[in-house]
Amino acid sequence: MSKKAYDKQHPAFYALVVAMVLMAVGPIVLMLSTSLKLTVDIMSDTSGLFFLPTLHNYEAVLCKVLWYEPQSVDYCDPTFGRSLGNSLIIAITSTVLTLIIGCMAAYALVRFRFMGRDTVSLVTLMTRMVPPAVLLVPIFGIWTFQFKIDGTLVGIILIYVAMNLPFVIWILQSFIVQVPIQLEESARIDGAGPFQVFFLIVLPIIKPGLAAASIFTFRIAWNEFLLANALSNRNTRTVPVTIVNSLSEYNLDWGVIMATGMLLAIPPIIFTFVASRQIITGMTAGAVKG
Amino acid sequence: MPVIELKNLKKTYGALTVIEDLNLTMADGEFVVLVGPSGCGKSTTLRMIAGLETNTDGQILVDGKDVSALEPKERDIAMVFQDYALYPHMNVAKNMSFALRLARYKKAEINKRVTEVAAMLDLTDYLDRMPGELSGGQRQRVAMGRALVRDASIFLFDEPLSNLDAKLRGQMRAELALLSQRIEKNIIYVTHDQIEAMTLGDRIVVMKAGEIMQQGTPEELYRTPANKFVAGFIGSPTMNFLDGTLATQAGRMVVQGESYAIPLPETYSQHLAGSDGQPVTLGVRPSSFEETDSDTALPMKIILSEYIGSQSVVICEFGGQRVSIEVNSAAPVKIGETRTFAVKEAEIHLFDPDTGASLLPASKL
Repeated sequence: MSKKAYDKQHPAFYALVVAMVLMAVGPIVLMLSTSLKLTVDIMSDTSGLFFLPTLHNYEAVLCKVLWYEPQSVDYCDPTFGRSLGNSLIIAITSTVLTLIIGCMAAYALVRFRFMGRDTVSLVTLMTRMVPPAVLLVPIFGIWTFQFKIDGTLVGIILIYVAMNLPFVIWILQSFIVQVPIQLEESARIDGAGPFQVFFLIVLPIIKPGLAAASIFTFRIAWNEFLLANALSNRNTRTVPVTIVNSLSEYNLDWGVIMATGMLLAIPPIIFTFVASRQIITGMTAGAVKG
Repeated sequence: MPVIELKNLKKTYGALTVIEDLNLTMADGEFVVLVGPSGCGKSTTLRMIAGLETNTDGQILVDGKDVSALEPKERDIAMVFQDYALYPHMNVAKNMSFALRLARYKKAEINKRVTEVAAMLDLTDYLDRMPGELSGGQRQRVAMGRALVRDASIFLFDEPLSNLDAKLRGQMRAELALLSQRIEKNIIYVTHDQIEAMTLGDRIVVMKAGEIMQQGTPEELYRTPANKFVAGFIGSPTMNFLDGTLATQAGRMVVQGESYAIPLPETYSQHLAGSDGQPVTLGVRPSSFEETDSDTALPMKIILSEYIGSQSVVICEFGGQRVSIEVNSAAPVKIGETRTFAVKEAEIHLFDPDTGASLLPASKL
């Protein structure tokens, strides 16, 4: 066992580090502890970190999906459980759609020579430069009066796909450029058609890029508030919108809100963890002589 | 196995013409080597045969059928790339069976072929490895194995050995020669290395700037190069070129240089009779000198000696020019020493200094 030698730092440095850690972790600890408390404990002046932890708040949030009927819940309010479901459907569907369309578009932009190729490449990025707030009004109008898809999951998924595509195309382009063209030529000689070249050779090689892009799109779709708030109705609200809407002037159920917040944080963590395992460098090792 | 014919093949990239008008016929089961310096169009020719590049004009005929509009997969070819092009996300066995799996062969058949080829190429122990875990030579063998399992009728090799180190290249060259005897397929092999070309090819096609300079068996190219380019390209160490003019001395044709007169053999004299005063380029291979003290011998001052083994190449200064000569290493070579060498008459080559074309009698060509 070798001991790593570190330089001794000034005590103020450690104080600063501790302060920064507290600022970062503090709110999460507060949220976690509140979510595990009964309303009595939350409201009482005396309680701090000493309380009897309970899962009642989580049972209240998940009452619809639990396999048993929680005794602590008198009336099962479906709002939070439903919004979690909505968020999952929207985030996963929009991520999958964005990746499918994005990787094909990126491949075409990199490999095919067609008129206006550079313009298309540039314009895709430019749409990314427009802030969502600017898009909000026209999209709300079109979604509501033309397409009549306001308040539907489809409407929200569609706008998320459109919003995330430019960046995904852009990020995947840089990955596809790195796939040696000889691999595709070799596959063509081995008898692969254009789609087989793409799906059997190119896609597996750019897996790290797909993973990075999927983390990005999933997190945006999961966290987005502004557009979701405008385009959803009571039944299609996502978690961020639900949380904000439940902050009313009276009868704040902090325990349930915090429990929802904790549950809101879990899927992106799992997703990021799973996807990031695909991000391995050196995917093309051994393909061609460097 | 088919006869491959290239007819008036042309390739341009925009305004740049890479191949002007190429005509070439490759016989059934022949090992043809396209050789030439970088940028001579040999790889482009190969890629057109493979279908990876479209030809601007002309025809590629396989057994009389024009294939130039067909996709690569419809041409029944297998190709080995210069930089291997192994699929990095598949192990060796998957790499080799890729084409068979695409063609929906039965699993048992795929296994049988992969095992066979792997045994042939000494890859049996590596079938589960990923390309990234293999050495350069092993990757090259996998690339070859991938072509071999296909049982295609035409094999294309695009400088397959150029990324290997010298020792491995020698080994692989020998293995390739053995392999080509065994599989008896049409092989078209592109290289810039004349040694590879000489050792492997049934027939060598020497190319320069998109044109065929000469084609023939290795021996034909070595003994009777049709022009100065081929003479200088084929053979190692390279041929010496000396400038001079034709003259008649004492009834014999000689090449007259500034400080030398090298007599030509009788057969040449008749062929070139009456061309006195014509400038020529004399070509002499380093191995065509012999040490002698006859009166036609030329004094050469040795300025450098390159020891190779049983032979040494000495670089000599002679009449203001440098000449390399192959000598037996048994006799010690002293730098600065002057020795006398004569040219073996029968091995003299003559070229037109302007066109580079050989001036030898047709019977020699």
